[in-house]
Amino acid sequence: MISFSHVTKIYGKRKKQRVAVEDFSLDVAAPICGFLGQNGAGKTTVVKMVTGLLEPTSGTITIDGMPSSSAESKQKMGFMPETPYFYESMTGIEFLRFCAELFSAGDRDDAFLEGLLKKAGIAEARDYEIHTYSKGMRQRLGFAQSLVNDPEYLFLDEPLDGLDPIGRHDLKESMLALKQEGRKIFLNTHILYDVEEICDEVGIIHEGKLLYAGSVKNFCAGRPLEERFVEIVKEHEKKYEERRTKKEA
Amino acid sequence: MKNIFIIARNTVRLEIRGRIWLALLVFGLGYLGIMLFLSDLVLKELPMVKAFALLGIYFFNAIIALFLGTTSFYRDVERKTVYFILAKPVSRAQFLIGKFFGLCAVIFLTSALLAVAYLVVIALAGGGFDALGLLAILMQWLEMSLFVAFAMFVSTFSSSLLAIVYTSAVFFLGHVVSALVDDARKMGIGGVRLLFVNILYYLFPNLEKFNIRDVAVHAVALPWASFGYALVYAVTYIVLLLFAAIWIFEKKEI
Repeated sequence: MISFSHVTKIYGKRKKQRVAVEDFSLDVAAPICGFLGQNGAGKTTVVKMVTGLLEPTSGTITIDGMPSSSAESKQKMGFMPETPYFYESMTGIEFLRFCAELFSAGDRDDAFLEGLLKKAGIAEARDYEIHTYSKGMRQRLGFAQSLVNDPEYLFLDEPLDGLDPIGRHDLKESMLALKQEGRKIFLNTHILYDVEEICDEVGIIHEGKLLYAGSVKNFCAGRPLEERFVEIVKEHEKKYEERRTKKEA
Repeated sequence: MKNIFIIARNTVRLEIRGRIWLALLVFGLGYLGIMLFLSDLVLKELPMVKAFALLGIYFFNAIIALFLGTTSFYRDVERKTVYFILAKPVSRAQFLIGKFFGLCAVIFLTSALLAVAYLVVIALAGGGFDALGLLAILMQWLEMSLFVAFAMFVSTFSSSLLAIVYTSAVFFLGHVVSALVDDARKMGIGGVRLLFVNILYYLFPNLEKFNIRDVAVHAVALPWASFGYALVYAVTYIVLLLFAAIWIFEKKEI
């Protein structure tokens, strides 16, 4: 289980401080958990903290009871960053080989890695240098590299961005297949439709605060997700405005 | 250790595929080829050929070291390619050290290729096998390793462009600072001015310690003690710089 306990992240120092995530607590046990929020809401900061790229200012994040930034946790974790930047002069298969070697069970044979490229739909580009890849192919390669260690937990940051309809469909199918295999997926997105379609649970974050966490069905209560999402965000903003007015008064 | 090796090997692979490295290497080899022709026409004396050839190797290595040291690590962090690596069981220290060893290996490869060309040029110019020249190139490589460590250290807290400026300044100061101290002592300068010169001397690396080109050119006996001292000096300085770089990089929000 992925567990966030009172996590706060503050960027900058002294006068230039900005609170990106505030007192964030969440337990994720669902097979696919969608993490929803507007641009700049704090989604990427949360994923960067859980994958050990950023350290929380306070609070703890654990995976199966171990700190998420520990080597043990990272061994069972796959991560696909938002808008991935690769080593352009490497070929697709070379990049996967490089990523696989960084894990303790790094002796993945080429057949396994080719299987990942096939799963991601870019098997034919195996030996092409990455600078020749389209944006969609890069997203697919980013997805493939997140699977090189056969992870139990997958953290995907806006994985469907830049993909064409076929690409989106294929990737969603792949996620559902991974769910069937018993893996847990933490999906960062601002596309409501995707969450509605494939996620079991949803977490809604706005201005660094968690507004809702629970099943998608319960959250929607028969209404469209978009409608409910706008409602909860506006409700939060209204409350915030009221509090501020009170304070000023 | 395994992760450091993997990152170092990957760095070598990436950098030698880069056009700039290849272009500079070709220029360096071309320069040494020209030396061969000039040895007959202009330079005539063997020490002159050696001096110009070693200086050329030094120049090309310095440009490569400056370019790689200030861009390779910075680019990975700035373009966020490092996300792929640090989200795996790789520590920031392992990444930085791996990068450093990779860059040193690239410069070693450059030095080795240029050294082979140098030996051929000197042999064809009638100088036989120039072991001291080879040692001078090895010392240059040691200096470049220190140079790369400094460039990487600066890259952890500044932009690539600023890193080039700072590293170039240190490169310049590193070569003149020992002469400055000597001059100050000879001229009997004291007080605050001597203190300032001494601070510069101890603050910046003394890169002249690695310059044994004169020894190689004139084929005089090598002061082995100073060679050993230079080796210890380089290793100590590199370790300190890498520690400082790791300390800053650990705190950096990427």
